[in-house]
Amino acid sequence: MDFLQLGSYTFSSRLILGTGKFSNTTVMLEAVKASGAQLVTVALRRFNREQLADDLFSPLKALPEVTLMPNTSGASTAAEAVRAAHIARELSGSPFIKVEIHPNPQHLMPDPIETYEACRILAKEGFFVMPYIAADPVLAKRLEEIGCTSVMPLGSAIGSGQGLATAEMINIIIRESNIPVIVDAGLRSPSEATLAMEMGCGAVLVNSAVAVSEHPPEMAEAFAEAVAAGRKAFKAGLMPKSSSAIATSPLTAFLGVNT
Amino acid sequence: MSSLPDWLTDDRDSAALAAMLDPLSSSSLEALAAEAKALTLRRFGRTMTLYAPLYLSNYCSSGCAYCGFASDRNTPRRRLEPDEIRRELSAMKKLGITDILLLTGERTNAAGFDYLQRSVEIAAQEMQRVSVEAFPMSISEYRALADSGCTAITIYQETYNRERYEALHRWGPKKDFIDRLETPARALEGGIKSVGLGVLLGLSDPGEDALSLYRHVRHLGRTYWRAGISVSFPRMRPQTGGYEPPFPVDDHALARMIFAFRIVLPDVELVLSTRESAAYRNGMAGLGINRMSIESRTTVGGYHDTEHNEKGQFEVFDDRSVDEFCSAMRAKNIEPVFKNWDPAYNGHAEGNSSILHLENREQCL
Repeated sequence: MDFLQLGSYTFSSRLILGTGKFSNTTVMLEAVKASGAQLVTVALRRFNREQLADDLFSPLKALPEVTLMPNTSGASTAAEAVRAAHIARELSGSPFIKVEIHPNPQHLMPDPIETYEACRILAKEGFFVMPYIAADPVLAKRLEEIGCTSVMPLGSAIGSGQGLATAEMINIIIRESNIPVIVDAGLRSPSEATLAMEMGCGAVLVNSAVAVSEHPPEMAEAFAEAVAAGRKAFKAGLMPKSSSAIATSPLTAFLGVNT
Repeated sequence: MSSLPDWLTDDRDSAALAAMLDPLSSSSLEALAAEAKALTLRRFGRTMTLYAPLYLSNYCSSGCAYCGFASDRNTPRRRLEPDEIRRELSAMKKLGITDILLLTGERTNAAGFDYLQRSVEIAAQEMQRVSVEAFPMSISEYRALADSGCTAITIYQETYNRERYEALHRWGPKKDFIDRLETPARALEGGIKSVGLGVLLGLSDPGEDALSLYRHVRHLGRTYWRAGISVSFPRMRPQTGGYEPPFPVDDHALARMIFAFRIVLPDVELVLSTRESAAYRNGMAGLGINRMSIESRTTVGGYHDTEHNEKGQFEVFDDRSVDEFCSAMRAKNIEPVFKNWDPAYNGHAEGNSSILHLENREQCL
């Protein structure tokens, strides 16, 4: 079997689902089930212990096949993210933490400096640290060195649906990485998820594309199939691409026959 | 008299907005609505974040011609004491509210900074997110307020037309146009994470005010790159005091303005309060607007003391209960979100050069 290894956990599904932006919790749960996702992320700020109707965490925790990965969305500094990670671990019992530090609450781009700081501390504390980062190959290696479980480069701006605008950088990150690379943010269509998996991503994380679709459970299923197809293709090995045709009079004819 | 800052008169990047605001422009209202809807969906999903106002005090030292709480009105004055604030918070929590906006009038001895800070501390113990709409403060006061648990400051310029502004604000500290204009920047300097801007629609030429408001948003965004910014669209309602707005903004014009702001500011929070009717708010949900107030009581003590029928600052138009409001949102396939923040993220924001603080970071963690 082909498993995704993250920390001490193994997953057969390589689709990770985000849980924000849905029109209601029931639809969100249906989408999670339809996606077959075994790892889902939920923002600490959507944990509501006082009003269960407003709480995303409890209904997800009730799904036995799902592991929760709390995220620190809303944090603007390393200190805030570390604080949030501690609270999230206490509430969820999950060793996973998706580190999201975006000092600008409008465009939500990850802060590499604060993210590095938070990851260093949280990895030392034994979390399975999953940082959301810009597609920066050097930052990815630095995060691997300090013990992150995975790196999660954005395919394009979060919520933008611009697909794999950063494909060139993601290719370098994948080629150089010893830990799973998970494309997080920007995917709009299942075919983009297939492409990411064909490139060798360990998994993809999708939220808006499913939540904002007219029929989230169907879209979740489509992404699951697309991710599985892309992974299968990657494992099978894509035929090599050649940019030039083979000339009928070979350029190397002068070398004669190699004996 | 100090002169206007350059950013306020700089029309470099407001041409697109100006074109959309023109009712005779080529872009139809329907086309603007469709674009605003798509952008809102993309950025905020199928959700509406909710908050409720809590009037702490109606003491006031300023003479705003349009306001029911102006210092020359005969309105009975009171402020909530800590126990009363706790009772209000508890009544609000029973409604599911976790995100509140604390309001006072302009600074007075009865309701000054110390009173406000104490109130923020009390509110932060009970609520997930606390914002303040009060009086202009100093940078150090804002920093203290952030460290007491205040995340956001709402401060409307009311109108960016200086002449109109000075005529309307007849006396008191609010009369200083430039001081008011510089207040959001001071809040951000002090580490308040988010500022809410707006004009009080009806006081002055709305098209001119909208362009100035947009320039203010862009100026703050460029200067304070960490700043959260939200924009509200308060329209003059019948006020205690009976002020008739000289530049009334009709439903179509307000809708056009909201759509246009969503298009030029696709990831900024746009807010619509209970000053608008239930039908209007239902219609605008998701068409640009992503944040709304609910169950607003504009009287001091209005949540726990429902017996008294004293007059609020303005008349609430949408008086639906939380349940009624949420049902209407759900019928539109929009999830009402009560908690969209966590106190883990409270405290003052880092300055613009946070990298210098890295070596001190270990101690804070």
